[in-house]
Amino acid sequence: MEEQKITKDMFQVKGRSITEMETISRPSLSFWSDAWRRLRKNKAAFLGLCIIVVYALLAIFAPMFSHYTMSEMDPKSMNALPSLQHWFGADATGRDQWVRVWMGARVSLTIGLCAATINMCIGAVLGGLCGYYGGKLDMIVMRIVDVLYGIPSLIITILVMVVLGTGVTTLIVAMCIVGWISSCRFVRGEVYRLKGQDFVLAAKVLGVSDFVIIMRHIIPNIMGLLVTNLCLAIPNAIFQEAFLSYIGLGISPPNCSWGVLAKEGIKMLRVAPHEVLIPAFFICTTMLALTMLGDGLRDAVDPRLRGTE
Amino acid sequence: MKKKLLSAALAAAMCMGLAAGASAEEAAEKVFRYSTTAEPTTLDPSKVNAISDNEIQHAATESLVRNTAGDVQPGLAESWEVSEDGLTYTFHLRESSWSDGQPIVAGDFVYSFQRLMNPETASLYAFIGECIKNGSAVEAGELPVEELGVSAPDDSTLVIELEAPTSYFLSMIGSQAQFAPLRQDIVEQYGADFAATADKNVYSGPFVISNTDNKVVTFEPNEYYWNRDAINWDRVELYTVEEQATALAMCESGDLDYARIPTEQVALYEGDSRHHEYMNGNEDYLYINVGSEDCPILANKNFRMALNYALDRNTYIALATSNVYLPSNTLVMPLVAGVNSTYGEEFDLTESSYPLDGDAAKALEFLNAALEEEGIASASDVTVEFVTTDNETNKKIAEVIQEMWQSVLGINVDIRQVTYGEIYSTVYPTSDYQVGYAGWGPDYSDPYSYLGLFESTFTSYGTNYSNPEVDEYLAYAKTEPDAQKRMEALNNAEKLILDDAAFVPLQCRQDHYLMDEDVTGVEFYFCSVNIDWIYGDIAADAQ
Amino acid sequence: MGKYIVKRVLAAVITLWVLITAVFFLVRLMPGEPFTNPKLTPEIQANLEEYYGFNKPLIVQYGQYIGNLLRGDFGYSMKYTNKTVNYIIGQTFPFSADLGIRALVTAISFGLILGIISARNRGKGIDIFCVFIAIIGTSMPDFIVGATLQYFFGMKWGLLPVAQYKGFAYTILPTCSLAFYTLASVSRIMRSSMLEVVQQDYIKTARSKGLSEMRITARHQIRNAIMPVITMMGPTVAATLTGTFVIESIYAIPGMGKYYVESVTNNDYALVLGMTVFYGMFLVLCNLIVDILYGLVDPRVRVGGK
Repeated sequence: MEEQKITKDMFQVKGRSITEMETISRPSLSFWSDAWRRLRKNKAAFLGLCIIVVYALLAIFAPMFSHYTMSEMDPKSMNALPSLQHWFGADATGRDQWVRVWMGARVSLTIGLCAATINMCIGAVLGGLCGYYGGKLDMIVMRIVDVLYGIPSLIITILVMVVLGTGVTTLIVAMCIVGWISSCRFVRGEVYRLKGQDFVLAAKVLGVSDFVIIMRHIIPNIMGLLVTNLCLAIPNAIFQEAFLSYIGLGISPPNCSWGVLAKEGIKMLRVAPHEVLIPAFFICTTMLALTMLGDGLRDAVDPRLRGTE
Repeated sequence: MKKKLLSAALAAAMCMGLAAGASAEEAAEKVFRYSTTAEPTTLDPSKVNAISDNEIQHAATESLVRNTAGDVQPGLAESWEVSEDGLTYTFHLRESSWSDGQPIVAGDFVYSFQRLMNPETASLYAFIGECIKNGSAVEAGELPVEELGVSAPDDSTLVIELEAPTSYFLSMIGSQAQFAPLRQDIVEQYGADFAATADKNVYSGPFVISNTDNKVVTFEPNEYYWNRDAINWDRVELYTVEEQATALAMCESGDLDYARIPTEQVALYEGDSRHHEYMNGNEDYLYINVGSEDCPILANKNFRMALNYALDRNTYIALATSNVYLPSNTLVMPLVAGVNSTYGEEFDLTESSYPLDGDAAKALEFLNAALEEEGIASASDVTVEFVTTDNETNKKIAEVIQEMWQSVLGINVDIRQVTYGEIYSTVYPTSDYQVGYAGWGPDYSDPYSYLGLFESTFTSYGTNYSNPEVDEYLAYAKTEPDAQKRMEALNNAEKLILDDAAFVPLQCRQDHYLMDEDVTGVEFYFCSVNIDWIYGDIAADAQ
Repeated sequence: MGKYIVKRVLAAVITLWVLITAVFFLVRLMPGEPFTNPKLTPEIQANLEEYYGFNKPLIVQYGQYIGNLLRGDFGYSMKYTNKTVNYIIGQTFPFSADLGIRALVTAISFGLILGIISARNRGKGIDIFCVFIAIIGTSMPDFIVGATLQYFFGMKWGLLPVAQYKGFAYTILPTCSLAFYTLASVSRIMRSSMLEVVQQDYIKTARSKGLSEMRITARHQIRNAIMPVITMMGPTVAATLTGTFVIESIYAIPGMGKYYVESVTNNDYALVLGMTVFYGMFLVLCNLIVDILYGLVDPRVRVGGK
């Protein structure tokens, strides 16, 4: 019997290809659209989102529709209580607090969101790389982190001010120079932990590239903690701005922020408590909204909860 | 959890019990506890650099004379003669001792004065001794310290020669601690660590410093003090409390006998029997850099007039200082010594100066004249940068002035906040500003202490202001021995400076404070020493 | 392990050196000078510069500073003349450290408890309560917390001393004010980390083995969930123990915090450097401990990377 040679062309692929079968991720598009779908269903998260949007809209439009300006002073309404004329009362120099709160919201929300987001991104990327690859890169970045942490942030802020002048941008830049450190350390620790876990190992064995492992497997798994951290970082940035403004290195007067208003208000605690209560209320509710939104986001992006309703 | 709470409550109760026990003990002991917001920077008399430093030395050192709230009485000098030209002072010392029992001799003063002016000491306040003969030259290192005009013919005689007749010399050495005696052996024994802590010095004053740990300076009576009988306190404690609101709370809860009231809370204490006030001598001004290249219009007198007339100082005081400070439209603080009474009573310029309520119409007239002269089309083309230091109070002041100038004059005002370290070491000395806010406290009770700011040789504030007539009057006042003529010259200088609108006067600072009702005899003064508790006591009926 | 520690200590020394060098030159770049009396004449200015050696080339000053530092000498403060930086640190650090330890113990213990309770009762009333506390804690700046507690507990109700630091009762308010923020952030991170862990397979395995809920939480969940809290702790511990400007000034505690801010705004070069070196040493130490703790707490992480 003549031996029959078995050649490749005698076979035909039925169904999916090997590579297709071994691909362990679903397309990313559906990942994010799935997350958005789940977020909308979460009532608390949606409420949080609404609060943020409402505050943002008020910050943009409220000062435009008031007949007061943020710097106009009135000796007759010094420390006035909230009334029909002054919805949130007036401060020690008789300036309308309603306008100042929303003008302050512009600064605080911008600084809070920008600084926290930028920090989180830089920190996540660097921390992720350090945690994943370890070794020399990790050692060097961690030592830079140690040095940067040790330099008094005031010095950095003052020097940035010398170069860029005062303003919101300066503050954001100054905060970002050192701000990414905590998220970097934190992400590094998490990645360190995750990379030893089975699903990462499995992906590695299957020859998935490092980039894909980080993007598809590690990041979604630390998303929850990242979001929580982001929510903590926003008030931090807001207060840091207040502290810097307090020692004269923040935004230049008569501009204000929530932190500045709270700082001015706390001096009046015994005289006119509403001057601290109102900015404190807005800082708190913003955080509450961000937390609810953050919790919802965490659940929405959690890979283990995917597909569940 | 419950246990923890219980133990916390117990511990709290015990602490209160301890406190109660302590206060029962204190009733027998006369203790005065007060606070300062500025941490003392040094315990070295030659390096005293702030009122809070000087107040400590006022208790721990004794000078030739003692100035208690303007009343000059013999100190270590029993008597003295002044030469007819007013240039030579001869002091006769009484027999007295240092806190370690060694006698105080005239040589201790010579050493102290020489040390103050010695460049190697690098005292920040050495300029206070420039009135002594050869003072400036020694300070600059041009002459050896031995050439300084101070000598001790014998142990109980001290001769001081001055550069010019200085009418306020006695009152100044009675309140500025840089003129206190020093013990050469002690200073040399400790070197750079001299007076670093309470035990590294000996004391000549009514009190010794017994402890400086943990930001509390404790004073105890000096048993060797020549006038020991006049001292009533058994112990005095000075607490550094940076937050005024905290000091006030401590005073309210009985931890302090004296605390200043933050301006925004003054209204709460109206009518309170513990509430008093005094003028602390600080005058606040806006300095104008008349040579500013970035804002050339500041060189225009009419524009500077407009800045002055546009300010409604009464409203400003209400808005920026909760009506606590006093509006001012002159340069010299009215309480400083005049010929027979105070300068303010004898030479009042308040009426002839800028109106305290401001005058918007006149301000605009001045402004339009200035714009025309400078060829600027509209007020909105003018931008003035306002520099101030970085604290909350100053920020508020800046905001109020910014708002007033912008709304009355229609010019733009930008506020630039810098650190304290930057403003006095760089911004002012190098004229790196346009308009700047700063206070000024006198070193001696004389109008010259303020007027000297606008002498062309004085450059610390970088105002670039120079008026030969003003310089002439001031030079004349320096050498004129006749008090009336001298004072008139000084007054003419002040008028000229105001007519030139060389600066913007703002306010006299007034401190409000709470003082325990049982405490008596504590004096307040506007110059060098704000609070003087040396001769204080507890009221007899309180014991 | 021993080799790892030696390596880390070596790295720490280099880190410190880089830090000192960076700060030494950075402070000189800041505008302004240390001598701030407006009455200063140019002659006195020159005398002072001579006294502190500022007229020498910067590199020589740097060499001298490093030389002194190796002998443990931080030099003299320029604002607080006649006081050495060593003396200032020696006087103030014990207060800051004492307050810091109290605050940390309070914050970590209550923070962990709140976080765990909250995660175990997710969505229930107690969880909402804990989250609410945590949000207030993280969104209230320390100056508001400190001043408010002082006003109500100290001044208005007279329950506790308003300020100072000389007995247990005195420590309660500052400890609470200082701990609040850290407590809130610990509880939030712990809650979120616990929720993450609770979905892991080994918890399901443990549960299916029939372990009690108590044991699962104690042995499996907490041990795994605590990692992010430890990461966060390194810098927090260093920052808390070396003093906080706001709380210390509100409660008139003679701690270090004030000098961090003041030395920079006063351009007190020697004090800035002294503070930085001290804080830097602390920070490096804390981070080292954190990294070692990683290995102890989480058996999956081997120190040294690979």
